[in-house]
Amino acid sequence: MSGHEDVIRVDGLVKSYGAFLALNGVDLQVTRGEVHAFLGPNGAGKSTTIRVLLGLLRADAGEVSLLGGDPWRDVEALHQRLAYVPGDVSLWPGLTGGQAIDLLGRLRGGLDEQRRARLVERFELDPTKRGRQYSKGNKQKVAIVAALASDVELLLLDEPTSGLDPLMEAVFQEEILYEKSRGRSVLLSSHILSEAEALADRVSIIRDGKVVETGTLQQLRANARSTILATLADPPTDVATWSFAHDARLEGSTFTASVEDRDLNETLAALSAHGITALTVNPPSLEDLFLRHYDVDADKPGSPT
Amino acid sequence: MTRVHMTGGRALLPVALHQDARNIAPWVGLISVLSASSILGYRLVFTDPAEAAALGRTVAANPALALIFGPARDLMTAEGFNTWRAGMLGAFFAGLMAILIVVRNSRADEDSGQAELLASSVMSRPTRLGVAVAMAVIAATLLGLLSWVLTMIFGGDPTDTLFLSMTFAASALMFAGLSAVTAQIGSDARSASTLAIGILGSLFVLRGYIDAVEGPEWATWVTPFGWLEHVAPATENNPWPLLLALTTFLALMAYAFWLQARRDFGQGLIAPKRGPARGGWESTLPGLVTRLNAGSLITWLLAFVVLGFVFGFVATAVGEVLQANPAMAQALAGGTVTEADLTAQFLSTVLSLAGIIAAISGVQVAMRIYAEERNDRVDPLLAGSVTRRAYFSANTVLALAGSALALLIAGSVIATLASDQAGLGWGQVFGQAAATIPATWVLVALALAAIGARPEVRLIGWLGLVASFALTILGPLFRIWDWILGISPFWHVPNVTAAAPDWSGMAWLTLALAVLTVIGFVGFRRRDIV
Repeated sequence: MSGHEDVIRVDGLVKSYGAFLALNGVDLQVTRGEVHAFLGPNGAGKSTTIRVLLGLLRADAGEVSLLGGDPWRDVEALHQRLAYVPGDVSLWPGLTGGQAIDLLGRLRGGLDEQRRARLVERFELDPTKRGRQYSKGNKQKVAIVAALASDVELLLLDEPTSGLDPLMEAVFQEEILYEKSRGRSVLLSSHILSEAEALADRVSIIRDGKVVETGTLQQLRANARSTILATLADPPTDVATWSFAHDARLEGSTFTASVEDRDLNETLAALSAHGITALTVNPPSLEDLFLRHYDVDADKPGSPT
Repeated sequence: MTRVHMTGGRALLPVALHQDARNIAPWVGLISVLSASSILGYRLVFTDPAEAAALGRTVAANPALALIFGPARDLMTAEGFNTWRAGMLGAFFAGLMAILIVVRNSRADEDSGQAELLASSVMSRPTRLGVAVAMAVIAATLLGLLSWVLTMIFGGDPTDTLFLSMTFAASALMFAGLSAVTAQIGSDARSASTLAIGILGSLFVLRGYIDAVEGPEWATWVTPFGWLEHVAPATENNPWPLLLALTTFLALMAYAFWLQARRDFGQGLIAPKRGPARGGWESTLPGLVTRLNAGSLITWLLAFVVLGFVFGFVATAVGEVLQANPAMAQALAGGTVTEADLTAQFLSTVLSLAGIIAAISGVQVAMRIYAEERNDRVDPLLAGSVTRRAYFSANTVLALAGSALALLIAGSVIATLASDQAGLGWGQVFGQAAATIPATWVLVALALAAIGARPEVRLIGWLGLVASFALTILGPLFRIWDWILGISPFWHVPNVTAAAPDWSGMAWLTLALAVLTVIGFVGFRRRDIV
């Protein structure tokens, strides 16, 4: 198998519920062996995309290929090779967590006993409680253990950590990195940016049923601007005319602006002429990227959301 | 008793009513139509007193009818007929309506977490239960009024109809009180409603047994349904038993609030135990489906043992009961009918009835498929290596096997008790029960087809049951045309005790079964999972 094979390839996926258009031409590629973060605001279409990938929903239009097969047709064969964690886990009220883990494992075609035992311990899960007695976070843990304990190529995780405490969130991140080291591919839908930043090789941002940006974090950052904060001994008077610095502002001796990577040299040269006494350059955070995409319509009053 | 505070109730009640109106309205409407339609039907069919008298003889000759509908006090007037036909059935369904309203609005919300939002607002502890019961009281009142008005429009006598309608409302009140209590005892909504409906069903069957064997006077006061019979609309119009019903309601309510004050939110008095850390038989697909339905299936199978005994005992008493009726005794003495004929007729009616009741258990399994989907519990299963066909098959097999087993259990108990009486062999009675299975399956398959292909119209599953009951049990009394009666699958069940049984009906049933099952499977494979 080549290293560049796509485990997920979605082209122009469209899905509507009656008059409501949930997915409006989604394109998504996940390469074998990578952790791919799938980011987007609530209701953007993350879960709908994943449910199409699972063959639970039938695509209205577009090409969808999962592990080289058709997710609607080849359900049985494909699902032996993947595991899924829903964002809102609903357990069977009368079954214990342990029974649910074994059920999901068996339906997938077996799970790794040692790994199951280790994960139950690492996530501090009490497997003897009934479904209805678990808190939200603990229900989530049951689904995570069931998915990670199975020996599969692809993990589809739909906001898997909602409800986990910070300690468990850390355990989760370690386990995902471990999965990655074993060569598994992961599609991780999330809106926890630190999680995506810590785990993801590549990121796709979805908004209103369309993927608006995709690439490595570096590539995404290259398109974004760094923030510059400088204290100047001899403040200039013409910052408003500096075309290379966006939103340039001067308050007393403090200069702030956002600058694209290719304009950094020019900006620093301009600033050094005015005697820099202190300087911080912040690379664009994922959060900035995110907000930029989420807020596209914020300055267009009256636009639909 | 200390005063029960209902802070927040005034704000919650209208919202809750608005939410639940769509669920309540069909019950109120259908029970009222049950009453109004018998006045209309009687006026259309029994125009001649001689025909009404003939109806009286038919009813007297078949204790199965007393078992379902209670004693026929007076079939010579439309009002008397209505009391017989709609009285006990209406009271039963009014009770069922009240149970579902109270559990849905008090306990089910707790399980789903919705109630937590409410409980955290400015609202006193008893408010939610109080609102749920208030909704049942409102539904009971509306039912009484609508049934009264609607029946009068179709020509019912105002006083007689008022008393009949009040028995419906009284039944709804009593069972609202009962379910308010079971909602505190059960550990979740499901066990609360199972407990309440179990008691409702047992009381109804006990009442049926007492009526069918014409038990002693005191026995008719044993069940709340017996009290309502003593109201005797159209013959006595006796208001005092209604007061007894009201007192029962108030006492049950007081007990429910007392229990509620001692219970943790979201928990019952019966605490759930810890379970195994590892999965066993229930961690496979067939195991899971069996496990999810186990509680209700076991309840149904036990209920069918009891039903078998009730039907069987009544069958042994058919001769005695009929001898006590002067007209029937004369017919028996004259040799125009034999006791064995009448017992056989009784058996065929009760086996059809058992078949319809058995179908309820199968329809419940079918409805559960959709309920699990709505609760997001099907996604993780289908995300495993489970095909939709395998998932649907597991449920279909259980729905069909469970309902068939229930029928066979009742059939073997009835055969053991009553086969000699009817002059039939054990095998013939049991065989008749077995021959009823395909008809039961057609009703189950109807629900499966709806759930598989178009869950939005799943109500069809329940309507099939109601229509079969109306056509099979009531249809012949109204002397409806055969082609209409033939809509009910039970009309096509062959009489295996006949010298040369006609098996052609079986072919039609098999065809219907096959078509409906295919619709279910194909539909489920093609549609989106909700």
